[in-house]
Amino acid sequence: MVTLTFPLSRIEGHAQVVIEVEGGKVLSARFQATEVRGFQHFVQGVPAEQMPVIVPRICGVCSTAHHLASVNALENAYGVTPPPLAVKIRELLLLGQLIQNQATSLFIFTMPDTLGVKGMFERLKDPDLERVRTSITGQALKVRKAGTHLISVAGGQFIHPVKAVVGGMTSGIAPEEVAVACAELATSLPLACDLFDSYWELLVSLKKRIDTWGDDAPAYYIAATAENQPDYGSNIIRLMDPDGIEGDHFTAHEFRDHLIYEETDYSFAGKTSYRGEVMRANSLARVNLVQRMGTPRADEYLDRFREAFGRPAHELLLYDLARGIELVYALERAMEILAEPLDKDDTAVPHTPRDGEGYGLVEAPRGPLIHHYRIENGLIAKAEFVIPTVHNVMAIERALRVAAERYITPEGVNMELEQAVGRVVRAFDPCIACATH
Amino acid sequence: MQRFAVLQLTGCAGCEVSLLNAEEWVDQHELVYMPLVTSAYSIPEVDLLLVTGSVQTDEDLYKLRRAVRRAKKVVAVGTCAISGGVLNLGDRDEIRELFFAEESRYHLPKLLPRCRPIDTVVSVDQYLPGCPPTPELFMALLFDPPDFKIAQTVCEECDRKKHKKMRPAHLIGFQHGTVLPDICLINQGYLCIGVSTRGGCRALCTRAGQPCVGCRGASNAFIEKGSKKWFATIQRIFSKMTDIPAHEIEAALRSPQLSLFLSQFSDYASKEPQPRLKAKVL
Ligand code: SF4
Ligand code: SF4
Repeated sequence: MVTLTFPLSRIEGHAQVVIEVEGGKVLSARFQATEVRGFQHFVQGVPAEQMPVIVPRICGVCSTAHHLASVNALENAYGVTPPPLAVKIRELLLLGQLIQNQATSLFIFTMPDTLGVKGMFERLKDPDLERVRTSITGQALKVRKAGTHLISVAGGQFIHPVKAVVGGMTSGIAPEEVAVACAELATSLPLACDLFDSYWELLVSLKKRIDTWGDDAPAYYIAATAENQPDYGSNIIRLMDPDGIEGDHFTAHEFRDHLIYEETDYSFAGKTSYRGEVMRANSLARVNLVQRMGTPRADEYLDRFREAFGRPAHELLLYDLARGIELVYALERAMEILAEPLDKDDTAVPHTPRDGEGYGLVEAPRGPLIHHYRIENGLIAKAEFVIPTVHNVMAIERALRVAAERYITPEGVNMELEQAVGRVVRAFDPCIACATH
Repeated sequence: MQRFAVLQLTGCAGCEVSLLNAEEWVDQHELVYMPLVTSAYSIPEVDLLLVTGSVQTDEDLYKLRRAVRRAKKVVAVGTCAISGGVLNLGDRDEIRELFFAEESRYHLPKLLPRCRPIDTVVSVDQYLPGCPPTPELFMALLFDPPDFKIAQTVCEECDRKKHKKMRPAHLIGFQHGTVLPDICLINQGYLCIGVSTRGGCRALCTRAGQPCVGCRGASNAFIEKGSKKWFATIQRIFSKMTDIPAHEIEAALRSPQLSLFLSQFSDYASKEPQPRLKAKVL
């Protein structure tokens, strides 16, 4: 038996892929998360009210989602409903994170695969390619920065936000800040569309070269979103079956009746299935699940996407196009919200902490994220983090196996396998810091 | 032009995300290794090595030892690398037990008995504290601009005004609805430790209405001293400005949220104290 190990890069965190082969036959393909911190252990005994400041450190990429899931869990435990203005500002926070994440994932993590370079910061000898590289990188960094700035404006801190508190937000957003954020989003939107257009073209040429949009069988799709259009603060998790029929839906505290979690002995991350079936979360799931995006430019892209690939779309590389659609949506939607008054006083309602259980749900860039706390004497007695990347692990491994079978034959291993492994994993944009927490 | 590398140990990648926000280095420095954004699997010779995250596994230890040999200058970036950061919450015996219960995993890096700051393993030329350090601080690190100035403390960078007559009798928790604008958070009964936290973040949190939890670590007045001295100073400030009983402050100062960052004091963080020289801290 031969064991092939592929280190991974251009994803968040430390992981590798291990493929076992015997006589040209693929025996197994595994996705191993190789780092762990153990948040579920070390937050035991922490005063519950401190969680929203501690848990963003689970991940610097998805920190906003953890901040909000944590506040939601406490509000659920205390029986508090935040006022509408706070809900709106929290939506802005999630949009800021989506802009930052999708821009980074598309134009920094996966763009190099379409250009055939190691990374967007690598200096190239070929002057033409170098010009393309520097211009894409410059624009990409601007777009993602518009996202982080939006997080700062709405959340007070640019990476580990602080302004969401139990009962609401510590304050609204002043008109001067709104103006700055709006201007930045307005200049970023055409940049993002340009980048996305070139991405789409490059992806089409990549498809021609490798002769596939990414193999693998259809799957279930899971996302916490509204039916008609995206809602990243939705309190319902929805599923679509492989034929595109929307079926099951449930709230955060019912998740155990629908999702099955299992530990593995080869990775610090476990895996979840939808009642034993492979499911997929992240951009493609959301774009499959919603009717429309609901903003003009994003809907144009969605039409083009559905015309070409149908609904539900299943091929792996389409995750990236779905990311682009969401990036455009998030920029447009954030500007819509910023056009409303956000500096009124009623940003929070009073509350009385109490012991009990709380579930908090948000749709993070990688899918539905649940924080579940049990609070005793004001302290965390038990914390559980249900992580979107973990929902994708089975799908990742199945797709890796398909890729391995494509490139490994009794005659030998096609060198394209290494690239393919990277492409499969990056399609899901996994986040290892979150997955193992 | 400097060639630099970023070695990410066990951390959250927030430090890397902040570095990407400090985009101006892109044309002027060459980033040759940072797995988050490039497919390069070993560190070449570099002028500058930024290390983020803490030493949590045997693999971290190995990578760190190897990497520093190829670097002219080593910088510990972020609270995790400097003190272990948020991971210090796990340094309670009963919690560590839970970790080791998971340890038997096959083919995975082994967890070390405790998570460690990087300067307990290799020598560090400079420290850049913050969780994460802001893009402005990254720029200062990479370019060392002559006009770059930071205030001694967060308090001096915060615009909130202190009021003699507003004397709270008790602390209120961290998670409290609305916060009054423009008024010092201590006057409002929050445990804000910006008074003795190193400046440089431009008082990000306090401006947003969240008390400073000290992620930049101690100001120069305390950094070479122990945490006791620093505790005493915070106590003194609170007794001057508020009527909050001393024992309440004492207990709150030892709460987990602050202990994340308190651990930047070598006597608090580690059994092998190594005072960090203020000249080395940005
Ligand atoms: S110092 Fe803070 S931002 Fe940096 S890796 Fe550690 S937890 Fe993340
Ligand atoms: S205000 Fe305090 S906690 Fe916030 S960034 Fe500055 S030093 Fe860190």
